[in-house]
Amino acid sequence: MATGSPLLQMERIDKTFPGVHALDHVDFDLYPGEVHILLGENGAGKSTLMKILSGSLEADSGRILIEGAEVRHNNPDRAAKLGVGMVYQEFSLVPTLTVAENICLGDMPRNRAGLIRWGEVYRRAQDILATLGVDINVRAQTSSLSVAEQQLTEIARILAQEPRILLLDEPTSALSDTEVDRLFDIIRRLQERGVGIIYISHRLDEVPRIGTRVTVMRDGRVVGTLPVAEADKNTLISMMVGRRLAEQYPKTVSQPGPPVLRVENLTAEPVLHDLSFEVRAGEILGIFGLMGAGQTHLAHVLFGLEPMTSGQVYIDDEPVTIRHPTGAIRRRMGLLLRDRQASLVPVQGLGPNITLPKVSQRALLGLLNLRSETQIASQYIADLSIRPPQVRRPVKFLSGGNQQKVCLARWLATGARILIVDEPTRGIDVGAKAEVFGLLDRLASSQNVGIILISSEMPEILAMADRILVMRQGRFTAEYAYGEATQELLLKSAS
Amino acid sequence: MSEKNLTETRETRNELVATLASSRIVRLLRHLLIHGGPVIALLLLGLYLQSATPYFWTESNLVNVARRTSVLVIFAVGQTFVILTGGIDLSVGATAALAASVSAVTMTQQVNVFGIKFGPVGFVEGLVIALLVGTGAGLVNGLLITRGRIPDFIATLGTLEAFRGVALLTTNGLPVPSYYTDAPKARNYLPSEVIALGSNDWLGIPIAAWIGLAVALASWIILKYTAFGRSTFAVGGNREAARVSGIKIERTKIGVYVVSAITAALAGFVLMGRLNSANALMASQENLNSIASVVIGGTNLFGGEGGVFGSIIGALTIGVIGNGLNLLNVTDFYQRIIQGSIIVGVVIFDQWRRRRFGA
Ligand SMILES: Nc1ncnc2c1ncn2[C@@H]1O[C@H](COP(=O)(O)OP(=O)(O)OP(=O)(O)O)[C@@H](O)[C@H]1O
Ligand SMILES: [Mg+2]
Repeated sequence: MATGSPLLQMERIDKTFPGVHALDHVDFDLYPGEVHILLGENGAGKSTLMKILSGSLEADSGRILIEGAEVRHNNPDRAAKLGVGMVYQEFSLVPTLTVAENICLGDMPRNRAGLIRWGEVYRRAQDILATLGVDINVRAQTSSLSVAEQQLTEIARILAQEPRILLLDEPTSALSDTEVDRLFDIIRRLQERGVGIIYISHRLDEVPRIGTRVTVMRDGRVVGTLPVAEADKNTLISMMVGRRLAEQYPKTVSQPGPPVLRVENLTAEPVLHDLSFEVRAGEILGIFGLMGAGQTHLAHVLFGLEPMTSGQVYIDDEPVTIRHPTGAIRRRMGLLLRDRQASLVPVQGLGPNITLPKVSQRALLGLLNLRSETQIASQYIADLSIRPPQVRRPVKFLSGGNQQKVCLARWLATGARILIVDEPTRGIDVGAKAEVFGLLDRLASSQNVGIILISSEMPEILAMADRILVMRQGRFTAEYAYGEATQELLLKSAS
Repeated sequence: MSEKNLTETRETRNELVATLASSRIVRLLRHLLIHGGPVIALLLLGLYLQSATPYFWTESNLVNVARRTSVLVIFAVGQTFVILTGGIDLSVGATAALAASVSAVTMTQQVNVFGIKFGPVGFVEGLVIALLVGTGAGLVNGLLITRGRIPDFIATLGTLEAFRGVALLTTNGLPVPSYYTDAPKARNYLPSEVIALGSNDWLGIPIAAWIGLAVALASWIILKYTAFGRSTFAVGGNREAARVSGIKIERTKIGVYVVSAITAALAGFVLMGRLNSANALMASQENLNSIASVVIGGTNLFGGEGGVFGSIIGALTIGVIGNGLNLLNVTDFYQRIIQGSIIVGVVIFDQWRRRRFGA
């Protein structure tokens, strides 16, 4: 499909952040009507390259040519005028505005007097969302949406600008399968119209489904570019991590101990209805459901972030009432949120972010041990190979996957005995995924932590969970033991 | 083979860059460049004044600046806590006036509180009373904001008026001590220690400045080394993240308003010593000046970043500007214009520097 002259050429793009050479003379090109997939480990420089193209970062050196003509732009506005639209990995929506306002932001329809035509704003937003096949109230405040809905709104916002070059930075990391299918349909339609698409993802199975060519980056450099036909999974993985990966889903099947968490008839109107289950020490309990089935809400209720209408929770057979995360943490519970931006303090370094839950358990004037904090941070930087390995770097400067590792490190550091992880591999690379699963497996099998793994990725939940509960509309509809379930069974019970 | 070598050399180079970047000296220089803006601005200002007037760089003038600025330093240090959580305390001046007024009245008159008669009390009791009044004022602010769920700005705008009103009631609108009182057992002077606090020196440096220094040091320790300090930064840096990490947002919020009000009360007490009297309308400039000090000092108005050291520099900057304009015989009308412009200018410079050097 890569015929004719290139739509885009990026030549010898170089970018250095303090202490990190993020891009080392990168060459990249894109033809009309192609989907060029960009792969690489966390921190490889994918997002940085795309941000330079979209004008939100400036390269130190290098040239960008669109349809053969060199362009110089240093802000997203000008890039948009040149036909470059980018869906960012971390959203750029204004949370207090409505969905429609966000979608039309920057190009509000106006009448001759220069006043905004609100009817038109809502209609346009509605139309765009309809082509995406999603049902979101365009008058809702954006902050009230789920992560997936925000992602779809973000995509809609960029599509509204009708770009010639569309950059998608991990657009599917928060979407369910049906939504992914719809997004792919749209991408194919854009392709037919000659739009060039650059697509970043950590989901390797998406490569053959949607890609034309694949470029793999590592440590700020391009390792190679292949047509999709030659890019099988193993080749890609070894290009990305520089070695073969031993085991993607390391799993030790062991005999779980006594229940650490037991839930009886938990109801949280109007989302959750009469849920009863238990998690045993050393067990990984998988909870599978389609988007909006209530899994995330359940995690929030257990952790004291949302109220519970009725029911009883027992920890170690003792009835407990948890109204606030402080209480949950005191009882050695941990929650890895689905939404990373709600978990980290962006301007602070790794140490304070990792120890925050520990600090919350201290008396107000309790003294902190800054030296041990630095030690803890360094330890997890090493254990989880967080890049770049700098304790003081504010976490807002970390790549998405590395931020996820920091969130995880937090609960390892508190020594949680009950760990709820909600989409733990969102946005992290294959190598890191294997590391995270290895870690969860070790926590369960050798440290007797009871883990609730909430996931919509069927392969990972099938491989990792000792037991799977399937959720639909706030109720459990099926339970499978390890090895019993298949993707078909899960989907059937969930829908 | 060559590919592997290449990767290795690259890795060594990257590590070298990383070690360099984290080596102490480089860190310090970077730190100065990124965080040193306010200090640089203050030094430039000092250099300019030294060349513009022969009096600026004399010992007596510098001591004078220190004396006048100490009160603002105390205010600014407390305000820093509030701003770090993303809040704002507009009531510090009123709190100071209220605390000083109440304590001045009890130190000069016999008062009757719910039938219990006491006073006139001495210096220590007077100071304790001022600080208690401050604590109460801070609790009112904190509870209004957390339990009443109203924005910080509105809550403290309301209490600003209300506290001044209570202070006016307490003093009958008169300066205290005053000759025009009919209270029994009145005396018409403040305890000498109060006046010493505001006007005397120790080791050649005003006692007020020592107090400012002590308050700043204690605050620095609290912010850096205690759970409360850490919570303050976390709440301002990302409220939601603080909540899911178990930080008690409400308690932290109430805490910072109490800190701010206690320091305001202390500042009011010191100011009373310098003025040799208290009145319900004193410290009226300090609200905005304390906020300006914090912002000049580089603390982010939206919270999460900054510290007391910057606020001291900010307060000194404002003090030096005022002093310099006096020395240069600039009239008050122009002083205000110039002062306002410099404040805005410093912050614009600071923002630009941050964007440019990616703090
Ligand atoms: N604004 C910034 N300031 C400093 N360093 C940064 C900044 N943005 C990115 N970096 C660093 O540049 C490197 C490349 O980051 P980038 O976000 O491009 O990675 P990525 O390939 O998109 O990773 P991920 O898959 O985790 O999203 C990382 O080491 C990151 O820490
Ligand atoms: Mg990225």
